[in-house]
Amino acid sequence: MVVGELTEEVDVLVIGAGPGGYVAAIRAAQLGKSVTVVDKADLGGVCLNRGCIPSKALISAAHHYEAAKTSPYPGVETTATLDFSKVQAWKQTVVEKMTGGVKTLLKGNKINVIQGEVFFSKPDEARVMTETEGHSYRFNHCIIATGSRPIELRSIPFSKRVISSDEALSFDQVPESLIVIGGGYIGIELGQTFAKFGAKVTILEGTDSILPLFEPQLSRLVLRNLKKYDVDVVTKAMAKSVEEDETGVTLTYALGEETHTVRASYVLVTVGRRPNTEELGLDTIGIKLTDKGLIEVDEKCRTSVQNIYAIGDIVPGAALAHKASYEGKVAAEVIAGHESVVDYRCIPAVVFSDPEIATVGLSEADAKAENKEVSVGRFPYAANGRAVALNADEGFVKLIADKKSGLLLGAQVIGAEASNLIAELALAIELGATLEDVALTIHAHPTLGEMVMESAEVALGSPIHVVVR
Amino acid sequence: SSREILAAPSVRKFARESGVFLGNVIPTGPNGKILREDVERFLAGADHAQ
Repeated sequence: MVVGELTEEVDVLVIGAGPGGYVAAIRAAQLGKSVTVVDKADLGGVCLNRGCIPSKALISAAHHYEAAKTSPYPGVETTATLDFSKVQAWKQTVVEKMTGGVKTLLKGNKINVIQGEVFFSKPDEARVMTETEGHSYRFNHCIIATGSRPIELRSIPFSKRVISSDEALSFDQVPESLIVIGGGYIGIELGQTFAKFGAKVTILEGTDSILPLFEPQLSRLVLRNLKKYDVDVVTKAMAKSVEEDETGVTLTYALGEETHTVRASYVLVTVGRRPNTEELGLDTIGIKLTDKGLIEVDEKCRTSVQNIYAIGDIVPGAALAHKASYEGKVAAEVIAGHESVVDYRCIPAVVFSDPEIATVGLSEADAKAENKEVSVGRFPYAANGRAVALNADEGFVKLIADKKSGLLLGAQVIGAEASNLIAELALAIELGATLEDVALTIHAHPTLGEMVMESAEVALGSPIHVVVR
Repeated sequence: SSREILAAPSVRKFARESGVFLGNVIPTGPNGKILREDVERFLAGADHAQ
């Protein structure tokens, strides 16, 4: 330590400015706390810079390009050309708008922002290393929100042509061909997107289905669409090794007893994400981790060190931006003396595949595994006027309810705008709505939202727009 | 009984801030839901008992 160096006093120190961290900082400031946020990179974290936002921008552009290439509307003739560098430049402006917004919000809430890396030296003291200097900060409360990063495969390490989602989102041109290892939501979203932009895509998935966390009824439609874009999907495939040369990569994978090779310009590894918990000095201050390397927290987001909280991808639960933000508010409110706890009945999950998938609450299989007797209502997009007029008649809405009480337990939507339709269903579950509550709510016509009402009617046995068999 | 405790998010928050465990509150809402006024009634009763 530099002789004579001062230790600065801060009230609330937030480490990380992703969806968990910046929301925590703002809520703490709203509640009258003086807040300092430290992030080693860009405001907005993975979600805004290398995740949700840039991926959705590319997905939208690819969708539009694809739709223009093969106009879905008879009588509307279109031609499509692609200047990918302009697409990327636009995506970057989207990112900059959103991260600029975070900067404005932090400033507007009088939050002190520091770019640097944090290392705990004591349970109430952290050292922050900026590019030029190091400072010690004594804090009353701390919220750790350091997020996660892509998992690297030991046998197929990252290199110039073996890349993570970070690099795939920043391609300066559409690769001729792309091998995606991992058929989870990130792999499917990016694989499908680059296939639409014209890349020859091969997806290797270790389990027996893509999107293994979702029910087969849901992944089947996505699989069918991937084949339309000439994507090769190989399931039960285990990637073994990679050879890289000037022009591309040759990947070796096992399929049962057989060994295969496939060649492409790049290999994109999307097998999962790991928590950023290693370089903080958590062990020096005795913060307990779970056996999976996540930070152990209670329902108030408190770690084993009383004045330190943890939120987002570094704690157990779904690695989703909206879960991180929710926890950020809880942690900030607890610090401000409020009786807040993590208390939700459900968290929606969305895959921006084509068609989109959105789920919330229990699936039919989950409910049955809990020995619940359920009523199920399923309504097809093909029977919805708005969907047909949108030329988007693929998909369905499915509701799962408790048979006796009619209480909504879960919902699944696959099809156009599934990501938006799921919000009503999440609210219904949180409010303890029954199938009748949903069915008796007048939904505007013609809208996709009517399918929510009608699937409730299906479950109740009295739908108008499908025939009960 | 092991009935599920049903209450809207705002009612759960109100109970939490009032230090009321929802399992002790008698629900009067539809489908056995606990309403804000059920929590208020419980609070009034608890005050009375003191």
